[in-house]
Amino acid sequence: MAQPLVKKDDDRDDEADYSPFLGIEKGAVLQEARVFNDPQLDPRRCSQVITKLLYLLNQGETFTKVEATEVFFAVTKLFQSKDIGLRRMVYVMIKELSPSADEVIIVTSSLMKDMTSKTDMYRANAIRVLCRITDGTLLTQIERYLKQAIVDKNPVVASAALVSGIHLLQTNPEIVKRWSNEVQEAVQSRAALVQFHALALLHQIRQNDRLAVNKLVSSLTKGSVRSPLAQCLLIRYTSQVIHESANNNQAGDRPFYDFLEGCLRHKAEMVIFEAARAITELNGVTSRELTPAITVLQLFLSSSKPVLRFAAVRTLNKVAMTHPMAVTNCNIDMESLISDQNRSIATLAITTLLKTGNESSVDRLMKQITNFMSDIADEFKIVVVEAIRSLCLKFPLKHRSLMNFLSNILREEGGFEYKKAIVDSIVILIRDIPEAKESGLLHLCEFIEDCEFTYLSTQILHFLGIEGPKTSDPSKYIRYIYNRVHLENATVRAGAVSTLAKFGAMVDTLKPRVFVLLRRCLFDNDDEVRDRATLYINTLGGDDAVVETGEDVKEFLFGSLDIPLVNLENSLKNYEPSEESFDINSVPKEVKTQPLAEKKAPGKKPTGLGASPAGPPSTVDAYEKLLSSIPEFANFGKLFKSSAPVELTEAETEYAVNVVKHIFDGHVVFQYNCTNTIPEQLLENVTVIVDASEAEEFAEVASKPLRSLPYDSPGQTFVAFEKPEGVPAVGKFSNMLRFIVKEVDPSTGEAEDDGVEDEYQLEELEVVAADYMLKVGVSNFRNAWETMDADCERVDEYGLGPRESLAEAVNAVINLLGMQPCEGTEVVPNNSRSHTCLLSGVYIGNVKVLVRLQFGLDGPKDVAMKLAVRSEDEAVSDAIHEIVASG
Amino acid sequence: MLLAILFSNFAGHIILKRFNGVPSEERLHWRTFLVKLGADNLKGARNEERAFCFFTKNSNSITSMNLVVKFKSVYIVYTVLGGVRIYIVGKDEYDELALTEVMFVITSSIKDACGKSPSERLFLDKYGKICLCLDEIGILENTEKDRIRRRIGLKPPNPTEI
Repeated sequence: MAQPLVKKDDDRDDEADYSPFLGIEKGAVLQEARVFNDPQLDPRRCSQVITKLLYLLNQGETFTKVEATEVFFAVTKLFQSKDIGLRRMVYVMIKELSPSADEVIIVTSSLMKDMTSKTDMYRANAIRVLCRITDGTLLTQIERYLKQAIVDKNPVVASAALVSGIHLLQTNPEIVKRWSNEVQEAVQSRAALVQFHALALLHQIRQNDRLAVNKLVSSLTKGSVRSPLAQCLLIRYTSQVIHESANNNQAGDRPFYDFLEGCLRHKAEMVIFEAARAITELNGVTSRELTPAITVLQLFLSSSKPVLRFAAVRTLNKVAMTHPMAVTNCNIDMESLISDQNRSIATLAITTLLKTGNESSVDRLMKQITNFMSDIADEFKIVVVEAIRSLCLKFPLKHRSLMNFLSNILREEGGFEYKKAIVDSIVILIRDIPEAKESGLLHLCEFIEDCEFTYLSTQILHFLGIEGPKTSDPSKYIRYIYNRVHLENATVRAGAVSTLAKFGAMVDTLKPRVFVLLRRCLFDNDDEVRDRATLYINTLGGDDAVVETGEDVKEFLFGSLDIPLVNLENSLKNYEPSEESFDINSVPKEVKTQPLAEKKAPGKKPTGLGASPAGPPSTVDAYEKLLSSIPEFANFGKLFKSSAPVELTEAETEYAVNVVKHIFDGHVVFQYNCTNTIPEQLLENVTVIVDASEAEEFAEVASKPLRSLPYDSPGQTFVAFEKPEGVPAVGKFSNMLRFIVKEVDPSTGEAEDDGVEDEYQLEELEVVAADYMLKVGVSNFRNAWETMDADCERVDEYGLGPRESLAEAVNAVINLLGMQPCEGTEVVPNNSRSHTCLLSGVYIGNVKVLVRLQFGLDGPKDVAMKLAVRSEDEAVSDAIHEIVASG
Repeated sequence: MLLAILFSNFAGHIILKRFNGVPSEERLHWRTFLVKLGADNLKGARNEERAFCFFTKNSNSITSMNLVVKFKSVYIVYTVLGGVRIYIVGKDEYDELALTEVMFVITSSIKDACGKSPSERLFLDKYGKICLCLDEIGILENTEKDRIRRRIGLKPPNPTEI
């Protein structure tokens, strides 16, 4: 046994300053380690030295290779001693030193001897050490002993072997997997710990075999598992089985629920909690199933142990997201947790209460939270702010107190993320609750008076420019905005100038005064600020008179820029200064989904474009130029949309072909991008023979063959179809590549004169409804929706049938319509049972379309959807419904 | 996975540490982070046992220290025992309850090895023995202080325990 280094002395015990390791020094300890080599070993002295070595290692001291080897060899000498305490220290020391492969050999024989010793404790420890330092080859040698050890009647030996197995599974899984019969036997052991370790190992061995896990769980849930730890493991495995089986069978009783419910009455808290949590996390759990679990969690809320309170409140918090009503019973216990000295518990309690609370309790809650906010970290505060935002949207009548709370915390100290969360919340509340607008805007005004974050200031100024002029007394905001021009950096100043101009444009009475202010900005020392001021003075075009601003000016100031900024940037980069001014209408509007692979990019053809533009090429732009350069297609009009390339061949085939669908008003052009991957061949006169018998509304009008397709030099061939003008015709096309193939002499690179005609079957191609829709986003969906004529709205409901998940259903509809998801609504939170998705796009004929999709789970898997469409043309609204109905 | 067990004195000096599957370049960050956590939250909690529990969603507070944490969430349980602070970090199946179990085993076996809640000095006096305790506890290999005491002395467990 390790001896104390200094004689135990109660008087000196409390002198914390004095350390037995005071002035310890590596060199000296290594010197001392020479005692290990003494012929007459002093076990007590040796134990002390080992303790010092352990201390050094724990302090982060590193030994050089030579030092480590020396110490290791010395330590192995200690196996000669019969002293039990020293032997125990030696085991630890060998593990700590983690010797290299060539050193392990030295100690192996001693450990093997211990492993087969009659003393159980030697066996157990030798197994642990050996498994820690061994490699694969040695392991096969000792495997026989380990298998025996697993079923040893002494639980210490069995546990040591099992735990070693768990460690070894990481490095030598194939060996450990051979032990599963022995491990299976150990699961039945009467010793609690052995059962626990065996169950853990058995599950790890079989975790990829679903059937085996299922069997394991079925047999163990019937019998009695002794150790609470093993019982916890079993609950986890059970819920995993339930989860997996739920995916297969849709109806019927939930298997194993009775087992979980039974565990709620176990005597160990650990097991009770584990079972309660497993129940709350069941897929599509019903309130009847939840009730017993909530009841035990409620008891934990008032436990004296912080960890139980934490665990319970965290679980209830999760439940509140999906089943808020189920948690309301715990509200009283939860309120007392707000004053819990552990801040994690308090934050969780508050956010849970905010989710489950009713309207009458809001004021009381807010009072409690105010005291609490000052002493928690930013990340907790953000959680609270987000919870308050959703509470306010739930109870709009309470906006006054909630908005006050938000403005109060906005004034206090905090980092960027926290402030941004508050500002975002206020902005959302202003948008959604009209009564909160004026007070909210003033709060934001006060905030920018003393805001250290440029980003937030400019965001708020932009928002003020949109909302401020619509209020009853817009003049009161001017002071705050103009102050920015004096006090802030150039970015904020420029933002302030734009905002002032918006006030001037919208509020005719303010216009002359705004002009005075804008003129002062003409002398700013920053280019951008001066430019903006000049621009606005000219566009507003006033001579200090109170005149009404023209519609086109308003459109210019307030109209959303419905062009993706990336596209605009690319077009501007490609623009060469000339007599012709830059035309913003030439910028493609479609959001680029994915950049084309370099190989497939068009424009490499000699007849095509000149040098490819710098940066990522604006593909639509390039396609348009390419197509207009071909006389056959020149009179098709303006290109509406080009699809992403669709592969028509498998990867790594002789000829790689993909197709781009170009949609015009009355025509469709297929551009086949072909690549010849055989060095010994030259293809000539390449065409694609298209069979349009399954596309009745399409008639082939032109085909442009590719004269020659040498190895690894992509080329294009085109086929054009006529279709009824403005009609979103759909259909299926089958394709056959036809060409003349000529052999190429690899040494000279010259082709033979004679060629053979050949064909190559390609995959089918479809023109679908989504091809007639451009992905064009809007910056503010709500505004865009409201400005669209409500008469052109069409609403209907659809059943989508059983679906894998809500997210899958949402994605399917987005892909079907080919529209741009707005405001991140394409992401469906986990476990949600309903979801709203906003889409926008431009339909063929340049008709703007907005779609609001509301999804709900109807029963366990069935998804129902409400589709509301607004567009500039009611026929288009109907067309969208048709797409969904037929999709 | 039981990621780390750390012991520090009140001054924040690490006395004893065990890391498991934590890359060495991240260890220093963990040490700093945990010591600060203790300094912030365990003040005044002398000579009384108190298990705190902390859960970081997406490890916000840790990433802010430029520590690249691969785990979605980690659990930390920490406490004061006499003159030392003890921190345990776990993930996945080592959630707050499992860690509390580990903490209970550690505190009870240390008290057993030292005869009482140890001062820093006593802790250092019994350093070797405590190292052995931790070795026996491993990843919940042994959970009872009596059993651990006997195993440190290389004595087989009490027959009644089995």
